[in-house]
Amino acid sequence: MSSPSNRRIFLKVVLLSICVFPRRVAARQRFGLTVKTNFLRPPGAVSEEFFAAKCIRCGRCVEVCPYRCVAPLGLEGGVMAGTPLIDVEQIPCYLCMKCAEICPSGALQKIAQEKTRMGLAIVDQYSCVAWQDQTLCRTCYSVCPFPDKAIRLEQFRPVVDERHCTGCGICTHACPVSRQRGGKAINIEPIYATEFSLPSDDGTVTR
Amino acid sequence: MKIRQQHINRWRLWVLSMAFLLLVLTPLLNYYLQVDFIQGWFQSLSIGELWFVSPLEGLERLLVSKEFYGPLLVGMLLPLLLATLCGRVFCSWVCPISFLSECGEWLSKTVRRSKKMPQWLILPRYTIWLALAGELLLTMLLGAPLFVFLSPPGIVGRELMTLVFFQTLGLEIVVLIAVLAVNLLVTQRLYCRYLCPLGGLLAVVGRKRRLQVVVQHDQCVRCNQCQRVCPLGLAPQQGDGQSSQCWNCGMCVAKCQQQSLQFKWDKR
Repeated sequence: MSSPSNRRIFLKVVLLSICVFPRRVAARQRFGLTVKTNFLRPPGAVSEEFFAAKCIRCGRCVEVCPYRCVAPLGLEGGVMAGTPLIDVEQIPCYLCMKCAEICPSGALQKIAQEKTRMGLAIVDQYSCVAWQDQTLCRTCYSVCPFPDKAIRLEQFRPVVDERHCTGCGICTHACPVSRQRGGKAINIEPIYATEFSLPSDDGTVTR
Repeated sequence: MKIRQQHINRWRLWVLSMAFLLLVLTPLLNYYLQVDFIQGWFQSLSIGELWFVSPLEGLERLLVSKEFYGPLLVGMLLPLLLATLCGRVFCSWVCPISFLSECGEWLSKTVRRSKKMPQWLILPRYTIWLALAGELLLTMLLGAPLFVFLSPPGIVGRELMTLVFFQTLGLEIVVLIAVLAVNLLVTQRLYCRYLCPLGGLLAVVGRKRRLQVVVQHDQCVRCNQCQRVCPLGLAPQQGDGQSSQCWNCGMCVAKCQQQSLQFKWDKR
């Protein structure tokens, strides 16, 4: 028989610790970055400081993704274990927005397709065959879900517009150039993953 | 319809198997037939538009982020209501670990031809409160709801999903094997008794539950069969059926020859 005093102590400890512990412990600061070039959070993710705290690791986003691009991080991810990650070089996000709709924890929040900012595509002009004037490659331009907006061609060279690029990674996935040091000639940098990242001037970035 | 007392156990095993079948079938249906009417498992489950969130996961998320989120709270509502009314029924009637442990117990009984489960380690009953409090404190220290990895019902679902979706098993399988090992080899349901954070939380919520196993002392002949059959090592003949630890599995009720143990709905 458990005595009521035990329960009382338990409740007191819980209440006390809620008051004492700092608001939203930033796990990211103590354990290295999970989100990096071409490894992104699903659409609508809250900033990386709070992601580890908010995600309950239920894996529903993994299950719902029709393209199987969302994968859970294993236990080797430490504090981030079980959180969803998209490796756009393997399978990019096709912006169906299903994961953001079913997330029960609020780690992924409902967001309009074009307002998604998983990252920003950056063209590596030293690797891109179009920029190096080797061929007239326009693969990234052709596959971009927002052609002439997110990626446009200037003198047959791809240029990314950060006002429209959602960071879905379809261009990275399609890019035929693989760099020796990893990555493609166009890569997604998760520049919006932290709260301190800069929104663009016209306010298209809702973060 | 009145369920005959002797059949309670059969009913429970049936529900347990159906719940496990649900866990196995859901990812298979999702993956191969794109049927997504039922999604998820016991961390977060949705049947059509009806959402459930495991109270432990939800609580950890609230404690760490200190921020309320509507859908999360709504999802926790039904499980918590069930726990307040009926106590830890999830553990004994639904939880896949219960299912696997029952299978293991049946197997070990047939192989060893002994009716007794090992009882090597008996801890005080308040261990589960300490475990729960410690886990919640550590969760807040770590800043992430990591103890979902010590809540086996969720892990079973996760493992089944990764198995179907990625044809691999996550590292969490180690936790699962360890839990089953202590449940079967050290003490019967050791993990469920003393360590499971979800079970502890449901027990806290259900400590003033309505559904209880009540003993009628005038009919009891002190045969102690109920105590022998209780998977949690409780003594229902002494009124443990009304303690917070009891998970209303009904094994004692089914076993009692005198029918002195009965489920009672406390109307209050």
